[in-house]
Amino acid sequence: MSLPRPAGPPGAYFERMGVTPEVLRRVLDAALSRGGDDADLFFQHSASNAVSLSDHKVNQVNTHVDLGMGVRVVVDDQVGYAYSEDLRPAALVAAARAAAEIASGTPGRTAANPIARPIPDLYPVQQPWDGVGMAHRVQMVRQWEQAAFAEDPRVQRVEAYLADASTVVMVVRPDGRLVQDWRPMTLAMVRATAEDGGVTDSSSYNVAARAGLEYYDDSRQGRMVKEAVDRTLFLLKADKPPAGEMPVVLAAGPSAILLHEAIGHGMEADFNRKRTSIYADKMGKKIASEQVTIVDDGTLANERGALGIDDEGNPTERTVLVEDGRLSSYMYDEISARHYGVSPTGSGRRQDFRSAPIPRMRSTIMEAGPHDPQEIIKSVDRGLYCVSFANGQVNIGAGDFSFYMRQGYLIEDGKLTRPVKDVNIIGNGPEALSRIDMVGNDLVIDEGGWTCGKDGQGVPVSQGMPTVRVSKLTVGGVG
Amino acid sequence: MKDANLEASARRIVEIATKLGAEETTARVSKGSWTELQRRDGKVEKAQESRSLSAGVSLMVEGRYSSHSTSDLRPDALQGFLERAVAATRFLEPDPARALPDLGQMGMAEVDLDPIDPGQDGRLPDDRRSAVGRLEECAQRRTSDLATRSITSFGWDGASESALVTSHGFASHWASTSFGLGASVSLEDQDGKLPEAWTSYQARHQSDIPTPDAIAADLAQRGRARLGSGPMESGRYPLLLDRRVVSGLLRVLMGPLSGTAIFEGRSCLKDKLGKRIGSAAFTLIDDPLIPRALGSHPHDGDGLPARRRTVISDGILQMFFLSIYNSRRLGMPCTTGGASNLVVPPGERSPAELAADRGRVIRVDGFLGGNSNAATGDFSFGIQGALLEDGKPVRALSEMNVSGDLFGLLDRFACAADDTWAYGSWRTPSLLFDDIQFSGA
Repeated sequence: MSLPRPAGPPGAYFERMGVTPEVLRRVLDAALSRGGDDADLFFQHSASNAVSLSDHKVNQVNTHVDLGMGVRVVVDDQVGYAYSEDLRPAALVAAARAAAEIASGTPGRTAANPIARPIPDLYPVQQPWDGVGMAHRVQMVRQWEQAAFAEDPRVQRVEAYLADASTVVMVVRPDGRLVQDWRPMTLAMVRATAEDGGVTDSSSYNVAARAGLEYYDDSRQGRMVKEAVDRTLFLLKADKPPAGEMPVVLAAGPSAILLHEAIGHGMEADFNRKRTSIYADKMGKKIASEQVTIVDDGTLANERGALGIDDEGNPTERTVLVEDGRLSSYMYDEISARHYGVSPTGSGRRQDFRSAPIPRMRSTIMEAGPHDPQEIIKSVDRGLYCVSFANGQVNIGAGDFSFYMRQGYLIEDGKLTRPVKDVNIIGNGPEALSRIDMVGNDLVIDEGGWTCGKDGQGVPVSQGMPTVRVSKLTVGGVG
Repeated sequence: MKDANLEASARRIVEIATKLGAEETTARVSKGSWTELQRRDGKVEKAQESRSLSAGVSLMVEGRYSSHSTSDLRPDALQGFLERAVAATRFLEPDPARALPDLGQMGMAEVDLDPIDPGQDGRLPDDRRSAVGRLEECAQRRTSDLATRSITSFGWDGASESALVTSHGFASHWASTSFGLGASVSLEDQDGKLPEAWTSYQARHQSDIPTPDAIAADLAQRGRARLGSGPMESGRYPLLLDRRVVSGLLRVLMGPLSGTAIFEGRSCLKDKLGKRIGSAAFTLIDDPLIPRALGSHPHDGDGLPARRRTVISDGILQMFFLSIYNSRRLGMPCTTGGASNLVVPPGERSPAELAADRGRVIRVDGFLGGNSNAATGDFSFGIQGALLEDGKPVRALSEMNVSGDLFGLLDRFACAADDTWAYGSWRTPSLLFDDIQFSGA
């Protein structure tokens, strides 16, 4: 099942499930019954479908449906939270009363009548998933498999899947705001396992966007298959790089995992409000070369990190985190924005109605700089060139971060030479940023399906970067 | 603690799916309730109440397989959900290996796993507030000699329950409670960095959780160990893997042991059954029958009775994790589809004594990112820890990687310490390996 874009005015979708304006007011009044400063209700209905191929057969379909409401009561920076998977009024009121336990006073106000606000449409879709039948999905996945086997005789096995997920969310606030967002998503993956001369290895390629079937044009489908096979064959001839500190050139696109870990998390305002981020005392200060401008943008249409509204009901925006090397803004949710006396940046996000919102990234991007990418590679005598990545992590306070490179090359005398694979790269965020000394003119927003984890909550994000040189990072190789 | 509604709901799902044309159906209906409380710097930061109810269904329709889950259990919605699920399944290719196991194979282990603390049900909000508040006070006192920026303490407790029903007549019910208590501290270091340390304890019974003061002492010790950290020169050193983070490195072994990786041909262990894959000193056991342990269960994911199994015995690989499905696809005997409690038998000496024998040793007590490749066994992880000399920490380490491959790692296993960790599903002591590659400055 895929949820179509809801017809009718915002609010009508959940009203059909019995959540009338009168019920909303009762639930909000229950949330504020002990005098909280503010409250929000987050309704969510989502449905996802995944069709999978393994062992030459399209032999599995998985579907998932989720429905519920989360209620948050805020007193200064204290949060009470509860949720219900039952949308009947009594259950909603009970959840609101549980969340209200954080407060200890008497009701200060009653909720205003909810009035719907319009929001921008950042997910134009030509061919919505609710109109794409199972037979068509099965056919697509099977074609990817056949194309992957046709790509190279060394391919022994192929797995693939195609998934779509659609979510309707509604946020309601005591001041009368009611906003509703329909969020589509699609994700696809092809994995190949190949063998050559007794060496076996396996790799995959995935793509994701807030889009419909039109996303899978011929060129994207062709690229998915070719990348999955090429990456696998690459690993067959790749080795481990040497260990230790060296200059690292990051290829345009997925290398933005460096931004996400080295600075992104540290710029989420909750860590700074609590003064536990390494960036807590650095606002306005120069932390990188003037070539470096980093933004976190919720408004890039159809990107996996796009959001018409955030999960507190606020409009999203393009937030400039670092401008010409200088720290310029954190990413604020409402609690942090109030703490700092600024407007929220539309960065309050949550995994689903079971979790309270916290400041999160959306699409995190380094803007293009002045250098030709070839010139950057040529500038390195001996170092590492990173092409693709699996995952990363950061310690917010110490600033140590790492990311795992699946695929890259050694750079020797300014040229890409030996293929290398499977190493972790580690550094310190502010130090690594200060060591970005060349920024390419070739910004690429990666099409991969990245998910960011924080406090146990996963949210979809995008990332992009031009080719950059970091003068020194620690590479986890051998010798 | 047994909610009969869960089994009734599961039976209703099986009935509906059968009526819609499914020849086999497995339904699992689960509910849970949790309360979490977090304090930071003298006040409650967050209080959360969670109540959940959801259903998972797997279907065989004309020999085709699908699986589904939903938290929308309104009767009309459930009917429509199952109609769509059955209809979608018909479009697939047959996969007869997915058929349910014979009823005679299924059942529950007859061992009292003691998974329920009867006190959980009567716990009052004040009990929770006082436990987390006392931990905060103890943590403040234990870290009073340190430059702390922020102290957070947290606790949770809850109960979960699920009923499993199959269309061919199997039914089971399983319930458990859990408790957790922990804290984190953010410290100001002399170089301007703000290193953090945390500690957390989880158990099925509240009485198995250490006292707030013991947890606070542990936090303070871990915090102190993070100060002044940095990388040391790259090289090969003995590795003392702290008991709490053994899974962080030995997960390199778990990917290649999975039946799916074996079947898909992307496991470096696929030809190694019955062969030596590591030092004769290394033994690993999967034991789902340890009373009160977090990974214990009466039957596995296929409904087969749980039993203790040796995964690696004296360096020889004894089994893969094979569910019924993967065992049929591979034409091999079924074991169990996934790990429960993983146990490395303890040795007789403390970690410090073991390290003292080796002179200079890197103790790893945390990981930062990194990954491994199941097809080749290669791994590379970011680490933090300490350089030990004669068993004593002399320098805090961070911004370093540990790299190698699964076979090299297991081959260099030397021995286990005597300090088995009981607060996770990896119940292992600290482990000592020789001659491991680290990269740093």
